[in-house]
Amino acid sequence: MIDIKNKTTPIAVKVDDLTVAYNYKPVLWDIDLEIPEGVLMAIVGPNGAGKSTLIKSILGILKPIAGSVSIYGKPYDKQRKLVAYVPQKGSVDWDFPTTALDVVMMGTYGNLGWIKRPGQKQKKEALEALEKVGMLPFKNRQISQLSGGQQQRIFLARALVQNASIYFMDEPFQGVDATTEIAIINILKALRKAGKTVIVVHHDLQTVPEYFDWVTFLNVKKIATGPVKDIFNDDYLTKTYGINYKVSIHK
Amino acid sequence: MSNAQLEIQLIASIVAIACAIPGTFLVLRKMAMISDAISHSILPGIVIGFFITQDLNSPLLILLAALTGIITVVLVEYIQKTGLVKEDTAIGLVFPTLFSIGVILIAKNANDVHLDVDAVLLGELAFAPFDRMVISGADVGPKSLWIIGSILLITIALLFAFFKELKVSTFDAGLAASLGFSPAVIHYGLMTVSSITTVGAFDAVGAILVVALMIAPPATAYLLTTDLKKMLFYSVGFGIFSAISGYWLAHGLDASISGSITTMLGIIFLLVYLFAPNKGVIAVLYREKQQRTEVLLLTFLLHLKNHTDERERHVNHLNEHINWQKIRSKTVLDLALKNNMIKFNKNIVSLTEKGNAFTSQAIDYIITNEDAQIEDMKDDFFLFRG
Repeated sequence: MIDIKNKTTPIAVKVDDLTVAYNYKPVLWDIDLEIPEGVLMAIVGPNGAGKSTLIKSILGILKPIAGSVSIYGKPYDKQRKLVAYVPQKGSVDWDFPTTALDVVMMGTYGNLGWIKRPGQKQKKEALEALEKVGMLPFKNRQISQLSGGQQQRIFLARALVQNASIYFMDEPFQGVDATTEIAIINILKALRKAGKTVIVVHHDLQTVPEYFDWVTFLNVKKIATGPVKDIFNDDYLTKTYGINYKVSIHK
Repeated sequence: MSNAQLEIQLIASIVAIACAIPGTFLVLRKMAMISDAISHSILPGIVIGFFITQDLNSPLLILLAALTGIITVVLVEYIQKTGLVKEDTAIGLVFPTLFSIGVILIAKNANDVHLDVDAVLLGELAFAPFDRMVISGADVGPKSLWIIGSILLITIALLFAFFKELKVSTFDAGLAASLGFSPAVIHYGLMTVSSITTVGAFDAVGAILVVALMIAPPATAYLLTTDLKKMLFYSVGFGIFSAISGYWLAHGLDASISGSITTMLGIIFLLVYLFAPNKGVIAVLYREKQQRTEVLLLTFLLHLKNHTDERERHVNHLNEHINWQKIRSKTVLDLALKNNMIKFNKNIVSLTEKGNAFTSQAIDYIITNEDAQIEDMKDDFFLFRG
């Protein structure tokens, strides 16, 4: 155990010996990970490296076969309200009969708990979140009528409305246009400025140094984690992706 | 209208409402086939319950049958989870097996009682008013009305209490889980309600109509609205309408009531499928035609914008160069003129200021990959659509 008190920043997320398997085949193997508070962190690694799986098991969506997760020193169940989650855009049915505003309102359900219904206060929070991501004019739009980038912003607004301390995002830049990508990264940077911890599954290695200040290399096992300026180098990229990545990253 | 007729219509309507509510969520969760499975595989539950209680309307029998429904769902999920067969195959394996166990049980042991395969499949709504509920000597109405009425009340209470949980777990199970609303609890809750509703409605309308009442009204409503609450209301409305009109159809034709109700459900779905304002077949075809013309218009405007020399913009040249047939060219030209996008000057076509602005903006959107925005932009520019 690392003594947290000796550090200047507390640990927001701590993963201990986490192993996750699908049908007895491990997809994550003995992961130890500490994410300090206030970082904007990318999780990078090749396809099938278990990036989404790592996030999902931290959030209790998947059950690990071994290991434990703590959020600010306590189990996830007790710290739910500190955490917001943006799943992959493709994980839901966008033909579902509902509006943009209603999807964002879903972010308030966690604080409401069972049975209690959202009211004016929740609606106001949702509208403010929509305004922050620039989607206010689309509030009554049916969600299938939104472009990919707009749908991603709706998901982001839904996470913002949870007013959490830690944000987990699964490939928020997938299939969005350049304008939306910039809009999203600006919001993420604003979150970090406000002292929040943001953890993003990311695919585009080129933008890692520009967008993030912290990075975790993952390929079934954890390869490395730390500040981008210290560890985002050819050595770890090669260890994570295999031999050819040196070339492509310099292009 | 006699009292019995009124009671039949009342029972049919309440069954329709009770089915439409869980049905809406089953349709949205793409689990329509599961309701078919449940409706058949509760049969052994009913038969065994009947042996124990000797009463087709006993609450214990309903619970036992609902339990068989849950077992069906669990079995289907278990077989599917092994990864050896797909979900639809798993459903096809489980429910006929359970159903046929029920059929054998009836044939072996229940030949002398009121429980036969016909009644199970089709129900007999016409006889429902004869089975009365008697409380301390007073007749308080048909038994099935009381049973399905109680089930409906419970369903509505659960819907009001857990509407937001049902919605979020149906739309995004991952989010529901991370917020602490266990999707598994909600899933099995919905399955329990569906099973109980199926059993309650089963006696009155039979296994086949139960499925129709659960699936057809929500499927119809889905084509008409983009709002979950409205979808629920429309489903209920279509259910009631089919129940009552189906009854009178059966009355007129002197045919099976449950068959006629199902026919009405099918007819209503077909009508909505064809004529729904946004998602209907005709609306979609019309919109596709409109869009095709508008894309041609944009192509034409783009050509005008790209070529400044008069030779390229001469009417005759356009005709042969763009290589469109006469009617098509005329449609596009008319549309451009109607919307003040182009002007003629001695057979030379050129963009108006508005046409120019429209084209530039459209190109911007296409280049930045925001094609979806073009649809919004059309509202700002078009006086007439294609």
